[in-house]
Amino acid sequence: MLATLKNYHLLQNIMAKITLLKTPPERVLFMATCLCDAFFDEAAKASVEVLESLGIEVIIPDAQTCCGQPAFNGGDWKASRSVVRHTIKVFAGEDPIIVPSGSCAAMMFHGAPLEFEKEDDYQAVKETGDRTWEIFDFIYNGLGIKEWEGSWNGRVAVHSSCHTRGTGTTEAISSLLGSIENLEILDFAEPEQCCGFGGTFSVSFPNISRNMGNLKIENILETKPDLLVSGDMSCLMHLRGLAEKSGRDMPVKHAIEVLRDTVKSEQKTNVLTNH
Amino acid sequence: MSDRERIFEAIRTAVAKTENPAPLPEYSMDSTVSISRLGAGGWSGFQKNFEAVNGDFLETGEDLKALLTKEKAKVGYCPENLQDLVRPHLPEGIELRSNFDRSKINEYDFGITKATSAIAETGTLILEDSKTPDRLGALAPWIHIALVDKSSLLDTVATAIKSLPKDPNVIWVTGPSKTADVEGILIEGVHGPGIQACLLV
Amino acid sequence: MSSQIIDQYANKLGEDVRTSVHTGSASGTDKRFKVLFDDLPDANGLRTTAGNVKQHTLDHLDKYLEQAERALISNGAKVHYAWDSETTCSQVENILKQASARTVTKSKSMVSEEVGLNESLLKKGYDLVETDLGEFILQLDGDHPSHVVKPIIHKNRAEIARTFEKHGLGEYNDEPEIITRRAREFMRAKYLAAEATITGANFISAESGRLCIVTNEGNSRFGLAGARIQIALVGIEKIVPRDADLALMLNLLGRSATGQALTVYTEFISGPKPVDSVSGPEELHVIFVNNRRTEVLDSNCREILRCIRCGACMNVCPVYRQASGHAYRSVYPGPLGAVLSPLLAGAEGFSELADLPKASSLCGACNEVCPVDIPIPDLLLRLRDKGKREKSSNAATDSPPMGAWSWVAKSPSLWRASLRSANMLNLLPYEKIPFGPLGRWTKDRTLPPWRGGKFRAWVKNREKEAK
Repeated sequence: MLATLKNYHLLQNIMAKITLLKTPPERVLFMATCLCDAFFDEAAKASVEVLESLGIEVIIPDAQTCCGQPAFNGGDWKASRSVVRHTIKVFAGEDPIIVPSGSCAAMMFHGAPLEFEKEDDYQAVKETGDRTWEIFDFIYNGLGIKEWEGSWNGRVAVHSSCHTRGTGTTEAISSLLGSIENLEILDFAEPEQCCGFGGTFSVSFPNISRNMGNLKIENILETKPDLLVSGDMSCLMHLRGLAEKSGRDMPVKHAIEVLRDTVKSEQKTNVLTNH
Repeated sequence: MSDRERIFEAIRTAVAKTENPAPLPEYSMDSTVSISRLGAGGWSGFQKNFEAVNGDFLETGEDLKALLTKEKAKVGYCPENLQDLVRPHLPEGIELRSNFDRSKINEYDFGITKATSAIAETGTLILEDSKTPDRLGALAPWIHIALVDKSSLLDTVATAIKSLPKDPNVIWVTGPSKTADVEGILIEGVHGPGIQACLLV
Repeated sequence: MSSQIIDQYANKLGEDVRTSVHTGSASGTDKRFKVLFDDLPDANGLRTTAGNVKQHTLDHLDKYLEQAERALISNGAKVHYAWDSETTCSQVENILKQASARTVTKSKSMVSEEVGLNESLLKKGYDLVETDLGEFILQLDGDHPSHVVKPIIHKNRAEIARTFEKHGLGEYNDEPEIITRRAREFMRAKYLAAEATITGANFISAESGRLCIVTNEGNSRFGLAGARIQIALVGIEKIVPRDADLALMLNLLGRSATGQALTVYTEFISGPKPVDSVSGPEELHVIFVNNRRTEVLDSNCREILRCIRCGACMNVCPVYRQASGHAYRSVYPGPLGAVLSPLLAGAEGFSELADLPKASSLCGACNEVCPVDIPIPDLLLRLRDKGKREKSSNAATDSPPMGAWSWVAKSPSLWRASLRSANMLNLLPYEKIPFGPLGRWTKDRTLPPWRGGKFRAWVKNREKEAK
């Protein structure tokens, strides 16, 4: 059970190398995430559209629900495991599973194996996690696409969600967005400090959560961004919620929406030849 | 069952259950070295690091005289066997005492003892108990001057660990004593010396 | 509106304390980052290596403890073992009695806080004084450390000045330099009057039996110079296999703790003083303290015993910065304490502290700065599982119940139906409901418009159009 003690990035790097050796997958399974199901259909749509623009067939299993993280973080591992069991059934097979959330991806390849340490179906859970990719990590490291065509005028602050620590996602988002013409990536203070969402943490430790969020918002707004993006809508939901309630203007989008917005139909061929 | 037996039994029970005991990793001591700190190495490297922690590097006897004059030192502890080395470089009217009298602890303005070696990587002086007649002589006065043999420089912490002598008490001294307990503000000279100097001999 | 204990504590925390804690923590974090990565070409690789060295030691602790014991005995030290708080305190007392010691100086030892040593000795009439400046101030105040390295991170100079005045150390003066000088003068007399000195140990090498004690102030050194006997309290997990591993640990400890390559004083003690030395202890007693460490060794959180007490985790922790150390109601605060404290409380005490592992957004910054690569978020999660299974009420406070949620999340049709039906939320003034999880969200945050089912509908439409 040393899998739980290995670093995320090591696992991802191994996966990245293995995948790059083969040709890019023709088909992927898409996990929308419960948050996008509930609030952020735009981010889920943009993810599908970006993947399809790269010539990949995207299968969206209808029976999908959630990765099980809320119960896992809450300590109700029995409840969480029952949801994970459903999810690995829905996403069975060998195709890569792509998810527009560093948090849900980490649940699949790190959290789920942790709570299944002593379970008989540990292997099935681990195998499912091993082929799960956060979407930017997939594009940048899995497919090897290091630059993104198109242009986007504006100043963008990029918030790295905590679950992407030690993974390829942070670099992937900054590099891909940074390669877009006219897009300026801003540096803000204390980037390593958590935004304060933390799932149920946001409602069981509401004061600390709010204070953490406000510190983050201050640091971001000081750089006067046109847009705040992240690979995780959970963080953005919390930050935007705080800003809006207190009358501060701070537009947010999932980072994948910026990629989608710059995709022009005549560029499709160019992007494919990158890999 | 004695406490010792109880503890060992509990440890053995616990470790017996370990599914994949971690092996002792092999690693090179070189990986622990700070190349940037070591710089060119040698005494110039030592001096840079020593001064970076506010050590007073005395190159010559003149520097020693200047330091003691500046600090208006009057009385100092110096073991018998070192007195001839330093006497030529003392300002007028300084009194050297060869025994450290605890009852007069605050009368000593300075203490001179022999350091057995130094570490270039960190600007550290190494004192050994068996080579220091009285620890208090190096520790209690406001100024401590360590006499160091030019030939005794070690390059890194890793080397110094390998060279640890059998002495029951070895102290690595890296600058004057200090604290930042009050609001994180650095104050030098807490319980140990406020001025840590070294003189090459 | 109720919420978790630590959240309430944070909410009531005085602004001055929060500022003190934030300043101290943030500077520690910045210094660590700068020095560690400026100095060491592969700092993260070293953290992994150090973590493996410590893990290996724990996985073979019986062997290394025996080896350390043999080495210490052959160096002329006396080795004792203490199962719990009571035996630790009574053993210290026995040693003091046998040495006819009444006055005792003490340098920092978190283990001594665990076992309540100070209270025990003071009650029995010993003249015991903490010599580290921060710990000394806490002793005067009847207070306890709120950080493992910077014990008075929560205090400002005005408070310290008042404490000194109250205890006859001079008229009110809040200049840090004056405060420090006064402590220096006061302590000198104590060092020389003390017959015994009590220390901790940062590391013990099993190979040579050397104790390694690091300080900046020189207080442990002075305590040793003054006293006739030394008692070192050492947790059984403080062992490293070889002297060479000390080099690895020392290179990481100072940088992680205070941004120093080495602290001012790094002492290597392998026995009582040489016979012809004038000053120094004639006897060295090492007490290996258990205090439930064997239970932690036996648990699924063994990795926490790798800890070398650098404090980097609490420096970077955003929850620690908001709540401060005393919110953790135990000897060890911050991420370290969130794992270790509930475990050291044992079966009876776990429930009381079961909220500590919940006080985290699982951001992982702690693991990122840990010099021995402890997977703290994983350990917090394991303890949350334990808290739930044991039905600890402190763990459950204000956490949304997951049973019903998982029931819906296992059933695709129920799930899709809930998504669609909750669109009602957009029509209700839900932010007027001030209680429950929803209420705690909307107190300070807006909720985005509910759009359940929209993505699914989009998918269905495309599929239809494709046909």
